Amino acid sequence: MKRFIITIIALLSVLSLSAQNRTIKGKVVDEKGDPLPGATLVGGGSYAITDIDGLFTLTAKNGENVTVSYLSYEDYEFTISADVANMTISMVPAEATMLNEVVAIGYGRTTKKEITGSVTSLKADDLDLGSFTNAGGMLQGKVAGLTVVNPDGGDPNASYQFLLRGTNTLAAGQGPLVIIDGVIDADLRNINFQEVESMDVLKDGSAAAIYGTRGTNGVIIITTKRAKSGSMSVQYDGQVSVQTVQSRAIPMSAEEFDYTITHFAPGKSGSLYGSDTDWFDEITRTPISHKHSVAVSGGTESFSHRTVLNVEKNQGLQIGNEASKYLIKTNIKQTALQGWLNLDYNLSYVKRQSSPANYGAFRQAFLRNPTEPVYNPSDLTNGGYFTLTESDYYNPVAMIKERYSNNETSYVLANVRATLNILPIEGLKWDNFINYSDEKYFSQEYKTSYYPGSVGRKGVAYSSANAYDNLQWESTLQYSRNFGGHSIQGILGYTWQEQMNWSTNMENYGFDSDFYKANNIGIGTALKEGLADMNTNRSSSRYIAFFGRMLWNYQEKYLASISLRRDGSSRFGKDHKWGWFPAVSVGWRMSQEPWLKGLSWLSDLKLRAGYGVTGNQDFSNYKSLMLMSTSTCFYYNGQWINSYAPASNSNPNLGWERKSEFNVGADFSFFGGRLGGNIDYYYRLTTDLLYEYEVNVPPYDYKTYFTNLGSISNTGIELTLYATPVKTRDLVWNTSLVAAHNENKLIKFTNDEFKLKSYEIGWIATPVGVYVQRLIEGESLGSFYAPIYDGVNADGTDRLKNEFMGVVPPAKWSRIGSAYPDLTLGWSNSLKYKDWTLSATLRASIGGKVFNSYRANFENVQSIGLQNILASWLDNTNYTGEIRYSSKYIEDASYLKLDNISISYDLPIHNMFVRGAKVFISGQNLLCITGYKGVDPEVSLTGLTPGIESTSYYPRTTTFSLGATVNF
Amino acid sequence: MKKTISALFGVILLAGCTNLDEQIYSKIAKENFFTTEEQFVQYSARAYSSLQDWGTEKSLWTFVIQNTNEVCTPVNPNGKWWDDGRYNEVHVHSISSSNVLLEQAWNYCFNGISACNDVLDVFGDVDRDFPAKDRVIAEVKVLRAYYYLCATDNWGSIPFSINKKDKNLPEKKDRTFIYAFIEKEILDNIDYLQTDPTPEYYGRITRGAANAILAKLYLNAEKWIGTAKWKEAEDACSEIITSGKYRLAEKYKDNFVVNNENSPEQIFAIPYSTVYTVSDHNAFIIYMSTLPADLCKPFGINAQAWDGLCGEPDFLASYDPSDTRKKDTWLYGQMYDKDGNPIEYSEGVPYIIDPDMPESVYGKDARRTALQGARIGKWTYQSDGRLTGGQVGMDNDFFLIRYADVVLMYVEALVRQNKASDAANVADFKAIRQRAGLAPMTAAELTLDNLYWERAHELAIEGWSRQDMIRFDKFLDAWWAKPAKDASDLVLPIPKKAKASNPNL
Repeated sequence: MKRFIITIIALLSVLSLSAQNRTIKGKVVDEKGDPLPGATLVGGGSYAITDIDGLFTLTAKNGENVTVSYLSYEDYEFTISADVANMTISMVPAEATMLNEVVAIGYGRTTKKEITGSVTSLKADDLDLGSFTNAGGMLQGKVAGLTVVNPDGGDPNASYQFLLRGTNTLAAGQGPLVIIDGVIDADLRNINFQEVESMDVLKDGSAAAIYGTRGTNGVIIITTKRAKSGSMSVQYDGQVSVQTVQSRAIPMSAEEFDYTITHFAPGKSGSLYGSDTDWFDEITRTPISHKHSVAVSGGTESFSHRTVLNVEKNQGLQIGNEASKYLIKTNIKQTALQGWLNLDYNLSYVKRQSSPANYGAFRQAFLRNPTEPVYNPSDLTNGGYFTLTESDYYNPVAMIKERYSNNETSYVLANVRATLNILPIEGLKWDNFINYSDEKYFSQEYKTSYYPGSVGRKGVAYSSANAYDNLQWESTLQYSRNFGGHSIQGILGYTWQEQMNWSTNMENYGFDSDFYKANNIGIGTALKEGLADMNTNRSSSRYIAFFGRMLWNYQEKYLASISLRRDGSSRFGKDHKWGWFPAVSVGWRMSQEPWLKGLSWLSDLKLRAGYGVTGNQDFSNYKSLMLMSTSTCFYYNGQWINSYAPASNSNPNLGWERKSEFNVGADFSFFGGRLGGNIDYYYRLTTDLLYEYEVNVPPYDYKTYFTNLGSISNTGIELTLYATPVKTRDLVWNTSLVAAHNENKLIKFTNDEFKLKSYEIGWIATPVGVYVQRLIEGESLGSFYAPIYDGVNADGTDRLKNEFMGVVPPAKWSRIGSAYPDLTLGWSNSLKYKDWTLSATLRASIGGKVFNSYRANFENVQSIGLQNILASWLDNTNYTGEIRYSSKYIEDASYLKLDNISISYDLPIHNMFVRGAKVFISGQNLLCITGYKGVDPEVSLTGLTPGIESTSYYPRTTTFSLGATVNF
Repeated sequence: MKKTISALFGVILLAGCTNLDEQIYSKIAKENFFTTEEQFVQYSARAYSSLQDWGTEKSLWTFVIQNTNEVCTPVNPNGKWWDDGRYNEVHVHSISSSNVLLEQAWNYCFNGISACNDVLDVFGDVDRDFPAKDRVIAEVKVLRAYYYLCATDNWGSIPFSINKKDKNLPEKKDRTFIYAFIEKEILDNIDYLQTDPTPEYYGRITRGAANAILAKLYLNAEKWIGTAKWKEAEDACSEIITSGKYRLAEKYKDNFVVNNENSPEQIFAIPYSTVYTVSDHNAFIIYMSTLPADLCKPFGINAQAWDGLCGEPDFLASYDPSDTRKKDTWLYGQMYDKDGNPIEYSEGVPYIIDPDMPESVYGKDARRTALQGARIGKWTYQSDGRLTGGQVGMDNDFFLIRYADVVLMYVEALVRQNKASDAANVADFKAIRQRAGLAPMTAAELTLDNLYWERAHELAIEGWSRQDMIRFDKFLDAWWAKPAKDASDLVLPIPKKAKASNPNL
C-alpha cells in the first residue's frame, strides 16, 4: 500500500515539475504594514519563506494555488497567474475573523456573530490529540453542558455515552442526534476521528427544533474534511499506542486471603487450596494498537475530490479482545451547467472486525479464590482447568481460552447532494440530498466443550446476522439576500427517511468436535433434537417532515430566527403521528450600537434569547399497535402447537414526548478576542413523558404499560471562557474553560389512573438485595435512598440510624443525594512555543453520588470463602458483620481528571516533496484525583439509574500514543 | 443515475409522501389475526399455557412445597441458596411482602386470570362462530375458576376482575364472594365440557377436571366460608368415580415417569416437553433446583444443577417403613447411576444421602453437608442426556389433579360425615394403600390424623399440601425449623408490587 502511494506521489511530483515555472517576488506584511519575517508560502510544488524584511521569492507555475501562513494570522490564498508579479500581501489577524467562523445549524450555516441559539462549535484545532475509539471521545470536556462518559474504560469496542443538559426522559433514548455530513442518525464508528473538520453541538430548543422529533437530546453535527480544489495533496497520519491499567478493583492476594481465612474465618479453611494465582494477570496483557490513514485530495474548481484510507488495529487489555477497522471514503465535488449545478458525492465503505471482551471474565477474575490453581490437569471433564462446580463461579482463564467470538460489520454509504443554483435569482437554490446506507453485522461465537457453565453441552455455537438499511431524502429550497442593511436567509424543506432492520439468530450445541467452532452450525445434535434456537425478525420505521426557517438580521445588530417543523413518525398511535415543533430566537449585538462602538476593548457583545419545542421518539417500533405474537407452545390434540398472545399492552394513544426550552445567553469578546466567552441559562420542561408504568394484571395483560404521562424539568447555567493570556511571536498560550450546572426535577408522573408517587429502582442483586434509588415526584432523578450508616458495633456489625428490631424499614430511609454532579468543568490549554505545542485537558466533576458496588458486594469478610473479597477490607478488620446496605456505600463522586497531555512538534521540513510534518506524543486518562474508594467515580450517568458502578466492567486504562502527520 | 433518482422521486412522491403507516413483518396485527378456527384455538391456548409457569424455579408450586412441611432449603455446602432469605422466609412463615417467590406465586394466579379474561373478551368481540366455540369458552371459564381457587386459597380476599373491558382497578372481594363465583362459574359451564377424557382433551379442562376443582372448593368450604359442604364434595367426587372414565395406574410411579401421559389416573395435567417448554416461565426444572451437581453426570443429565431443595427430615421420618411411596418420592440412601451401579461420593466413600438433618444446619450462617438432605425424586429423571440445565425442562407432565386425589377427597368427605365404614370400603382407596405396600385402613384407623398423613404421603409435593394442612389443622403447628404460628398465618401477605399498582388492595 505504502509503496503504491509513494509511487503515485513521485509520479505527480514529476508531473508538476514538468509544467512551466516562473518566479514571483513579493512581500508579506501585517495589518499595520510592518513586514512579517518567517511567513511560509506553500504551493502545489513550490515553497518559500519570508526573510527579515518580509520579502520572498517563489518559483511556481501558472494556475498553482499558494497558501500564505503566519502564526495567529488568517491564511491567505492566491492563484499564480500571468498578472501576478511583484505583490504585497497584507495578512489579517486571526482573531478578528473568529466571529466570522462558520457554524453549522442544521440545513444551513451561519456565523458565530450572527447565531441566536445556543450552539458550541469546535474546529479540528480545538480537539485533543490521541487515540479515541470514535470521534465522540473528542467532545469530552469541550462542550459546556455535554457530559461524555466512556463507562467501559479500556475496551477498544466501547462507545461513549452522551448526556446533554440533564436527563429529559424516563424511557426513551438519551443519545443526541448525530448528523455526519448530512446523514441523519449516523454512527460515529463509521468515520475516522482524524477526519473530523468541525463538530457543532446544537444545545437549546430553539437551535435543535429544526430537527423536531429527534432534537430533544441535542444535535451533534459533524463535518468531515471535504474535497478541496488545488494541486494534489497527500496526508499521512499514523499513531501507535499502548495502554496500562489506571484503576481496577483490587481483590486479596493469595497471602492476604490465607491470612484472612486463618484469622477471621477459620471455619472456611476448606477453601484454601494452596496455590497463588493472580487471576487478573492471567487474563490481561499490555495492549498495543496502531492506526494509519492516508488522505489524498486535489482537483479544480469544477472538479475536486478527497479520498481517505484508514486502517486501525486495536488491542484490548483482556487477552483476545481486539478491534480493527478498514475504511475508504471518497468525496467528490463537481460544478456543472455553467455554475447552475453543484454536485457533491460521498462514497464510503467501512469494515469493522472485533473480538469482543468477555466482561464476565473480569468479574470472575476479581471474585475467584486466589489460592485456587488455574489448571488441574487430571480434571479431563473440564478440560484440565481447575473447576469448582457452582453457579456464577467460573474459571476466568477457561472463559477466555474456551470461547471464540468474532464480529464483523460492513458499512456502505453512498449519497449525492445536488444543488441547483437558480442563477437568475441571486441567492436562490434548490438542494436535494439522497443518502443510502447499509450496515451489515455478522457475528459468530463458540463456547467449546470445556467452557465453564456449558460443560456437558458439547460445544455451543451462536451465529447472528443483522442488516440495517437507511434511505433518506431531503429537498430544500433556500434563499438568501442582503438589502438595505437587512440580511435574510430562508429555507423550506421536506424530508423523508425510512429505516429497516433485519436480524437472524441461531444457536446450536452438541458438536462432535470443537474443531468447527461456529462454522458448521447445523451439525450440532441439539438441532436434531429440537433444542436448537433460531429466529429472524424484521422491522421498519419512517419519518416525514416539512419544515421552514427564516434567519434575519439588520446590520448584524438585530438578529432573529424563526422556524417551524411539522414532524411525523410511524412509531406513534394512529391519531398521534404528527406534531408541531416551533422555535423562535432573537439576538442583539450591543457592540454594534454606536454608543458602544467607541469602546476599543469591546470586540463583541451579544444578548440572545430563544424558545423552542422538540420531541423524542427514540424507542422501539410498533409500540402503539395491538400485535399478536407467538407465545409458549401448548399441547393440543396430541401435538404441540404455538399459542398466540398480545405482544404487549398496546397503547393506541401513544404520542410525542414534548420538550419546550427557554434559553437566554450572552456572547462576549474583549481585547480583539484575547478574552471571550459565552454564558447561557436554560429551563427545559419535558411533558407527556413516556414510561413503562407498572399496572395491575388484570385488567391489563401484562405488568407494564408504555404511555405518556408526567413531566421533568432541567434548569441550568453554562459558561464558556476562552483566553489567550500570552501571545508573543514565539509563545502563544490559549486556554478555555467550560463549566455547567444542571438541576433535574421529576415534576410529576402520576394521574388519576397511575397514582403511585414513588417507584423503587436500581436493584442491586444479592447479597446486597435492595433497590438503591427511587423515582419520586418533586425530586431529581437518580436519587439514592439508604439507611444512615452510624459506625460499627462491638460485635463487628454495622450500626444504622433509626434501627428498630434490627432493621430500618424502607420508609425510614433517607435521601442521600443524586447521582448527577452539581458542577462539571473542563479546562483545555495549548501552549505553542515556536514549532512546539504542549496541550493539556483537565476535567472535573463536583458533587453527585455514586454507589460503590464493589465495596457493597465484596468488602465483607462474611462472604470470603468460595469467593474472594476486596483487599481493602484489611484496613478495617473490626467490621466483621454481614453486608447491611447503608449510606456507607453511597460515596461522593467528585473527581478531577487529567484527560490528556500531548506534545507536538512541527518538523522544519519544507521541500518539494514534503510540505509539512508533525510528530506528537500524548497521554490520555493520566490521572484521577478523587475521594471515591471504588474503581472510578466516572460511571454511566445515562438511563434511569445513573451513578451505579458495575461489578463486571472493563478496567480503566491510561493510553500513551506516539503519532506523526506528514503532508506531501 | 439521474434516471434512478427521478424514478425514486416519483415513487416517494406518489406512494409515501405523508404515509406513516407501520409496516409489520414479524408479528400479526390483531385485526388480521382471527380468520380461522385454528387461530381461535391457538389464542385460547394462551389461557392454558399460563399453567406451565407451575414447574419453574419460582412458582406457586415451589412456593407451596416450601411453605409446608414437605420441603426445606438449607444453605448448601458452597454457601448458596440463602439469597436474601427468600426461601427461609417461606419456610419459617415470616414472609415479607417483597419476597420474590411470593410475587411469582401471585403472578401465576393473576396472569392466568388475566389471560382467561383476554381470551373471553376476544371471543366475545368476534361474531365468527365455529363448532367448538361454546366448549372452548366453557373451558376457559372453568380454568379461570381454577386460578381464582388458587388465589383465594392462598390470599383469602383478592382483587376480582372478569371483564377485560373494565379498565378500573379491580376491587378486593372476600372469600365468600369468590367462593360463590367459582361455584356458579363451574356449575354454569360444566355441561358444555367434554365428558370423555380422550387424548384430544389431554391437558384441557374436561367435565372430570371441573368436578375435581369443584370438589376442592367444597372440601375447603368450612375453612374458607365457615360452612361445611362435605356432602357436595362427596357428590362431586362421586360423579368422577362413578363415571368410570378414570382409574388408578398400576404402579404409583406410572404417574411420574418421563412418558406419564398415558397414565389412566390423570384428570388435569400440565403437559411439558424438553423441546416445546423451554424458557424461564414455562419449563419444568425441578431437577435443577434439587439435584447436586455431582449427581447429574451419573444420572445422565448434562447439567450443573443447583443443589437446593431438600426433603424435610421430619416428613421423611413420617412414612411407614413399608410405604414404597417414600422411595418413589425421595432420593436418599445409596445413590445409583442410570445403569444401577452404586455411585461413590469420593474415592472409597459411597454416595449415601442421609435424609436426617439437625435443625442446626438451617439458617443464614449454617450449612448442610453435601450428603445431608433427601432430594426430590418423584418425577423420574430422564437419562438420555437431553436435560442440559438452565431453562431446559423435563419431559414429564405434571398432574395437577389425578384420580387418587379424588378418591382420597371422596374418602375424606365420607369420614367428615361420620361415614368411616363406608369410606373404608371404597375399593379404590384400598387399592391406593395396597399399591403403596400397605394394608387397607379399617374404619377405626380412619381418623382425621391418619387420613391427613395418607394424603400427605400419596400426594407429597404435588402442590395441594397447603390447603390440606390447613383443613386438618396442622398448618399453624411447629415443625422442622418452623415455629408455631397464630391464625393470621392462614393467608399470605399481598405482594408489595401488586399493592403498589392497585391501591384497592
